[in-house]
Amino acid sequence: MDFRFTEEEEAFHKEVQAFIAEAVPPDWLGVDPGPEEESREEVYPLAVEMWHKFGAKGWIGLTWPKEYGGQGASLWKEMALLQELAYRGVPGMDLAIAQADLLLNFGTEEQKRRFIPPITRGEVKWAIGMSEPNAGSDTFAVQLKAAEEGDCFVLNGQKIWSSGAHHAKYQVVYARTDPNKQLGLSVFIVDLESPGITMRQITQMTGIPAFCEVFFDNVRVPRENLLGEKNGGWQILLHAFGAERTYGLFIIYNTKRYLEQLVQYCQETEVNGQPLAKDPLIRNRLAQLAIEIEVGLNLGHELNWMATRGISTVKASSQIKVHGAAVAQRLANLGQQILGLYGPLNEDSKWVKLGGRLRHTYLSAVAFSMAGGTSETSRNHIAGRFGLGLPRK
Amino acid sequence: MDLSFSEEQEMLWKSARDFLANKCPKTLVRQMEEDAKGYVPQLWKEMADLGWIGLPFPEKYGGGGFSFLDLVVLLEEMGRACLPGPFLSTVVLGGLPILEWGTEEQKQNILPKICKGNAILTLALTEPSARYDAASIQVKATTEGDNYVISGTKLFVHDAHIADYIIVVARTAKRADPEKGITLFIVDGKSPGISTFVLRTMAGDKQCELTMDKVRVPKANILGKVNQGWGMVKKIIEWAALAKSAEMMGGAQQVLEMTIQYAKERVQFDRPIGSFQIIQHYLADMSIDVDSSRVSLHKAAWMLSEGIPCTKEISVIKGWISEAYRRVAAQAHQIHGAIGFTKDHDLELYFRRAKAGELFFGDADFHREIVAQQLGL
Repeated sequence: MDFRFTEEEEAFHKEVQAFIAEAVPPDWLGVDPGPEEESREEVYPLAVEMWHKFGAKGWIGLTWPKEYGGQGASLWKEMALLQELAYRGVPGMDLAIAQADLLLNFGTEEQKRRFIPPITRGEVKWAIGMSEPNAGSDTFAVQLKAAEEGDCFVLNGQKIWSSGAHHAKYQVVYARTDPNKQLGLSVFIVDLESPGITMRQITQMTGIPAFCEVFFDNVRVPRENLLGEKNGGWQILLHAFGAERTYGLFIIYNTKRYLEQLVQYCQETEVNGQPLAKDPLIRNRLAQLAIEIEVGLNLGHELNWMATRGISTVKASSQIKVHGAAVAQRLANLGQQILGLYGPLNEDSKWVKLGGRLRHTYLSAVAFSMAGGTSETSRNHIAGRFGLGLPRK
Repeated sequence: MDLSFSEEQEMLWKSARDFLANKCPKTLVRQMEEDAKGYVPQLWKEMADLGWIGLPFPEKYGGGGFSFLDLVVLLEEMGRACLPGPFLSTVVLGGLPILEWGTEEQKQNILPKICKGNAILTLALTEPSARYDAASIQVKATTEGDNYVISGTKLFVHDAHIADYIIVVARTAKRADPEKGITLFIVDGKSPGISTFVLRTMAGDKQCELTMDKVRVPKANILGKVNQGWGMVKKIIEWAALAKSAEMMGGAQQVLEMTIQYAKERVQFDRPIGSFQIIQHYLADMSIDVDSSRVSLHKAAWMLSEGIPCTKEISVIKGWISEAYRRVAAQAHQIHGAIGFTKDHDLELYFRRAKAGELFFGDADFHREIVAQQLGL
């Protein structure tokens, strides 16, 4: 047993830290991981700039083959990078990464050569077209139809909750090509500028218009944009769930940053003539959150290790997702308690504390137990055949 | 990073599980709860012959020269089996402090006896205040010629009634700072003036009231330096908290496994209850508690074994598992229903031990305070 990072890992970690120190403003308080906060006007330019910079550094698709612009690096390197970015709240890592992973696993040679290099260069952004109004956790209930017509598929229907689609060039769309629920899905790479597509942004509870509703009205998608086999979408869908495996860990790293900001606030803020940090109740509560974060990160070390060894990560990643979301929500609530009446102040108030980050995450964390698979779905995965082996009936 | 067990550790846990399944059935566990001594001398001897009691001590004292991480692997199995007896007291509370701070003579005298299974040790730390802080140390030791004379009462002293040596934490000087003026003594458990009374407790562990009436201890039996004992006590608390976390880990793992098994077998409404989503989700949450505890335990134990400072990591695991094990055991009861609430069922053994373990060498609040300090609060 050895929990140490290798010298190579440590060196890369330092390189990433140095990069971040230069790339973000010195007083950067960070944003949540994922495309949501990038939809803030004041964050988006930085996100785009970072996406380009990651591309220039060769940090997009570290593990991908060199022929498509990747680095052929080992998995730990990518995890170290993404985790540090999540910890420091650096925006810019796009959903395109997970979509390129699908292309690598299911795409034709031509699709890989056409779509992946622009991603590795940080040039285009991608979105996911999975959820529909009647296909939430029941993903296989997708109704958006794709009808075969000559050398095209014609798409009709709608997608919803597609984060950041308004900034994306492509969307990976899960569509119905056969009535068979499980065996009737196909996946398409759709250019979001295609005729027949309309989009409507939906404002989230945080006030950020990050969700998109995407309507498809006779949208013609060329056959060469079919990803994988016709009616073979179930495989891609399951793979896509697997690719979400580190989201829970990003949430925990993100929460660690908020905790550290709160600790500093408690050290610097005096109440009744003494720092808040001396209050036994606050010490106890912050320490409990620190413990919850720490054991979550320890699970994360195990997850990373299992992933690099090719051990199934279904159970571990789902455990981290459930735990991470719950911890993030508790931290957000504690942050509000500690800031007291300052907690709910909007970001632009001159009285605001910690940049209003605790107000933001009090709202944003609500979605952490839904995005990337709900906590209930994750618990099903833990209990199921890749986890505790409990019977289905 | 490599989170797998070494071949030696694999062998250790497998042989420990087999041995304890065979030699420590639950009938014995229950019997020992009522037994005056609380352990089986024959089994103790066999464990010594297997090299378990000497596991972390250097070979020159008759030990195996294994690491704390190896010890944790063994303790997990002991917790899984609910092994009764003074293993943790002897090895962690008594033996390791002597190895760390003893004079060569003290080590030569006592450690080989421990390894051979010929000496039982414990630590007399807590007093009627029932707290693990320095101000609670009121038992006095005063000099008299070449001796110290110790008088006073220690409470909740594990296994003192069978101990050959008791490390007594006593106040040797009164200072403004309660952490100053504390000294540790290696006291012969059979010394005149010592009396023990076994307290009856929920988990049937053998915690004693230890009364010392003018017990004479030669100055040569001081462990470490006079008046500088509290730093040592803090280290011992860390080791004990980590060792107890390992025992609790094994217990929690066993509870999870037996509950999964039960949920697969128990049929109600014409289907195994484990097929109901609510039961699946209970078990999923229990598995998060158990698996997050295990990797956190191993990380802290690995750090200690490597000599890396790990005060925070030890408090993280003891602070976490103290509540996680209790949650797991309580949820296991809910899933088992009435059968688990019976005295004949194994589950109740674990539920009682989960609480006792939580309170042993710092509960979650105690360790959260240490984590708070480590955070810079």
